Amino acid sequence: MKRGARLGVGERRSVAAGIGVLAWVVGLLWIFPVAWTVLTSFKSEQDASAQTFHHGLGFGRYSDVSHSTAGTLSLQTAFMNSLVVVAVSTLVVLVLALPAAYALAIRPIHKWRDVLFFFISTKFLPIVASIFPIYVYAEKWNLIGTRTVLIVLYIAINLPLAIWMTRSFFMEVPRELIEAAEIDGTSLVNQLRQVILPIAAPGIAATALLCVIFAWNEYFYALQLNFANGTTMPQWVVSNVSTRGNFLAKLSAASTIACLPVVLAGWAAQKRMIRGLSMGALK
Amino acid sequence: MHEARLGSVRRRRTLVVALTVAVAAIAAIVAATALGKSTKKTISIAIVANPQMQDIASLTPSLFTAKTGIKVKYTILDEGKLRQVTTRDVGSGGKAFDAVMIGPYEAPQFGVAGLIKDLTSMAKGDKTYGYNDLIPAVRNALSAKGHLYASPFYGESSFVMYRKDVLAKNHVKMPLHPTWQQVASIARKIKTSSMAGICLRGKPGWGDLGAAFTTVLNTFGGTWWSAKSDGKPDKAQVDQPAFKNALDFYAKLVQDAGEQDAANSSFNECLTQYQAGKVAMWYDATVAAGLLEAKDSPVKGKNGYAFAPHYKTPSTGWLWTWALAIPRSSPDPTDAWKYISWATSAQYIKAAGTRTKGGWPAIPPGTRLSTYRIPQYKAAAKAFAGITLAAMKAAPITHPGTTKRPGLPGVQYVGIPQFQDVGNRCTQLFSAVIAGSMKDTAALKQCQQIASQAIR
Amino acid sequence: MTAAAADVAPRGRVGDPFSSAWRRRLPLLPALLYVVAITQLPFLVSIYYSLTNLKDKTQSLIPEPTKFVGIDNYKQIFSDPFFRQAMWTSVKMTVLAVVLSLIVGTLFAILLDRRFLGQGLIRTLLITPFLLMPVVAALIWKQQMFSSLFGVLNKVLTFLGFNSVQFISDHPLGSIVTVLVWQWTPFMMLIMLAGLQSQPSDVIEAANVDGASALGIFRQLTLPHLRRYLELGALLGSIYIVQAFDAIDVMTGGGPGSTNVPYYVYQQSIGGGFRYGAASAYAIVVVIFSIVIATFALRVLSSLFKDEERA
Repeated sequence: MKRGARLGVGERRSVAAGIGVLAWVVGLLWIFPVAWTVLTSFKSEQDASAQTFHHGLGFGRYSDVSHSTAGTLSLQTAFMNSLVVVAVSTLVVLVLALPAAYALAIRPIHKWRDVLFFFISTKFLPIVASIFPIYVYAEKWNLIGTRTVLIVLYIAINLPLAIWMTRSFFMEVPRELIEAAEIDGTSLVNQLRQVILPIAAPGIAATALLCVIFAWNEYFYALQLNFANGTTMPQWVVSNVSTRGNFLAKLSAASTIACLPVVLAGWAAQKRMIRGLSMGALK
Repeated sequence: MHEARLGSVRRRRTLVVALTVAVAAIAAIVAATALGKSTKKTISIAIVANPQMQDIASLTPSLFTAKTGIKVKYTILDEGKLRQVTTRDVGSGGKAFDAVMIGPYEAPQFGVAGLIKDLTSMAKGDKTYGYNDLIPAVRNALSAKGHLYASPFYGESSFVMYRKDVLAKNHVKMPLHPTWQQVASIARKIKTSSMAGICLRGKPGWGDLGAAFTTVLNTFGGTWWSAKSDGKPDKAQVDQPAFKNALDFYAKLVQDAGEQDAANSSFNECLTQYQAGKVAMWYDATVAAGLLEAKDSPVKGKNGYAFAPHYKTPSTGWLWTWALAIPRSSPDPTDAWKYISWATSAQYIKAAGTRTKGGWPAIPPGTRLSTYRIPQYKAAAKAFAGITLAAMKAAPITHPGTTKRPGLPGVQYVGIPQFQDVGNRCTQLFSAVIAGSMKDTAALKQCQQIASQAIR
Repeated sequence: MTAAAADVAPRGRVGDPFSSAWRRRLPLLPALLYVVAITQLPFLVSIYYSLTNLKDKTQSLIPEPTKFVGIDNYKQIFSDPFFRQAMWTSVKMTVLAVVLSLIVGTLFAILLDRRFLGQGLIRTLLITPFLLMPVVAALIWKQQMFSSLFGVLNKVLTFLGFNSVQFISDHPLGSIVTVLVWQWTPFMMLIMLAGLQSQPSDVIEAANVDGASALGIFRQLTLPHLRRYLELGALLGSIYIVQAFDAIDVMTGGGPGSTNVPYYVYQQSIGGGFRYGAASAYAIVVVIFSIVIATFALRVLSSLFKDEERA
């Protein structure tokens, strides 16, 4: 029997159906606040704050937020910036993390524990403290307002996560397969491609998705190091928040737009995250 | 099967490599072009995310860039984040902005410290600027020792807004210059189970609860710090009876007759509740009137306005303005001034009346005397324009309370750099008192500690 | 048997670039060098700042030169009752949020691990809370779920005949933990799902054929396998949740029940205090504490650092 199939040996059909229904109920309840937000994005500001429906629903807020004049951050600019920053940083993270995980899981170095601990310890420093030195040096090297500074920082903040997760998934690779590949004289790259990746694919997809999500939603560095046209989607979303006047409907519309690309990325990663039925090769 | 898998693996590999190269190439191209500079002159301005500021950002290309050829890049942030970014930029000599939007709390302090440019000669020398048209209290709030350090774009004071119909139903009249005791008794009388008596800010923050509470504190005869003769803060006064009276009065009023979720309510939350008919009165910024009387407001035409309540002092309304200043390290101060003199001019205000979505009620209020002589504005803002101007003129920035204040002038804040932090942390404690999760004596004791340590 | 057992590298002779020890280190070096370069510079500079009285220039009307104050900033920290309170709040917030999101995330993962109609859709939907910006998620919960007048939760409560509850004012920590759990459960779910997917199916099949019950299979086969992933989720989740900031800023604005350490440090630096030297000292103290706790957790409690043994 393969994983994820419809019925297990001895399982009753009704149990399986019942669990399906339960999953639907749970799923819908869980995302209710998100669904409510999407609903709010179609309301007027009055209705949004007071949770009423007096003015009906429409796309007005969407056109409000996607319309911008020259000189203010436009959806297109923010989107392009985010896309480039996220794509490049995630790609580099994977390129660096896969070999590193190999060196910590498949053929571990002697001090693998210390190295892992070091990686995770880089996340202990609160970012409100590290921002000032980073700002000072970014200013010195003329990197304020560029995509480069964000790419560089996002790689650094996502690498520890990627290495820890990828290492855990690499640990699942059976020893025999590695030894067989080594006896065959396969290089590191080919070992990764042919032996390790197929088995660790669900985990790596999950890791990549998480890196994309973290980089896409990262707000603090983008705010402090990037201004006006250089900045990313989170800045565009939050620019709808006002201290003198209601903004919930516009913010909901902006957030819905901002989430869509990551939802699509999640959907694409889904396919990789389901371990294939072709794992007969494992045996 | 092994062969087939290898074949598909090979194809997948080519695809991945091709994709990587493509993405890298696109990224490189796009990253390179992102750093390219345009040939037109461009200035970078940081502004706060209020509706009036959003309006000028959309009108800039047609009204400013078209005439002067200077392109403007706006960074629009909400108040808290704007303050973080501009303080850091001005304080560390950053070159990110040519002009920044700051308030009367920062302007005199930054000016005295030499971190922003002195605008007096440029303002006085520019005939179209109208230096004497600025409301004197506003101009003085942004100046130190006679030097103007920032040009006001938007101004507000505070007053009481109330539902005329609800008060009438209860046979209660609101005097034009009420005392706090009068307001409190009206609130307690008119409240019902579905409509609170009054909405007062309760969210922590020196500009949220801190602003409203400090005006109450001032008129109850209290103060945050006593002042030495040279204007430096002497001793923290949080442990004084006047402070306790003010805090108890405020907290009790909110608990007895105030809004729901008071401990995290500020301007927007009270606006929502007032418009939804859940509170009958509201003490907050004068600019709220523009929103309450807007075309689509459910309470349009139902509101009365009274001056900020007083007790031991004659006038208590606060004074806040968002004003444009030029950091000392600004890359292009000349063009920055050209922008500022346009943005804060009477001409822009007139132009905004006919060109913005909100129309006349939505023009930047509270900066110039001439604004209140524009016939269309007077007509559109009939209910509240007069009282707003009077409140702004009367804001007691040099003598807000019954005792001398340390630092630079200010009504709802103390003009010393330490106030931000002290105000933020103390209002967190006071907000807990309002929520009923902390005793006033404990909050006052901790706040006294914070306030004393800050000036050591 | 899986990879790590019995294959830890021999110590290499330092000078020999072709020794197998250095060949093992090579794949790690790019990532390691990169992280060292980018993260250690700010860390060292922060240590330097913490030994000075560095403030933003706007904090004094007459320019004050920055001077070296040695460990004065640190001495002040230990007599600061507000910092102790913030640390205690941090502990409560993090433990509650991590444990609850782990439990719920694991349950969701188990629910989603089998094929049913619309599995992919439900899985994507369950991830969506994690895709929202923390600021946006906090605002949604504050205004639309928790609000006593307009919130959905209170509308349901009053419909059922109960009084409305002022969630945020009366239960600040609980409200924040709710939002954190709502957002981080998908993170845990993703890890646990990948962990469940990596379970070798032949062992399960064999147990099924032998007539073991679903519960028995779960307790004796799945759970031990998942232990590593539970610990991974707990570790990674804690690292992120301990830094939670936006929910506090948006929902409560700070206050005795809800100010955690990052928010407190923020207030000392760019949130109003602008005392970069003192704030850096707080940050360094936080790093030291975290290192101590993490060392204890990883080397004593967790199986993540032990050499693997597998059934």
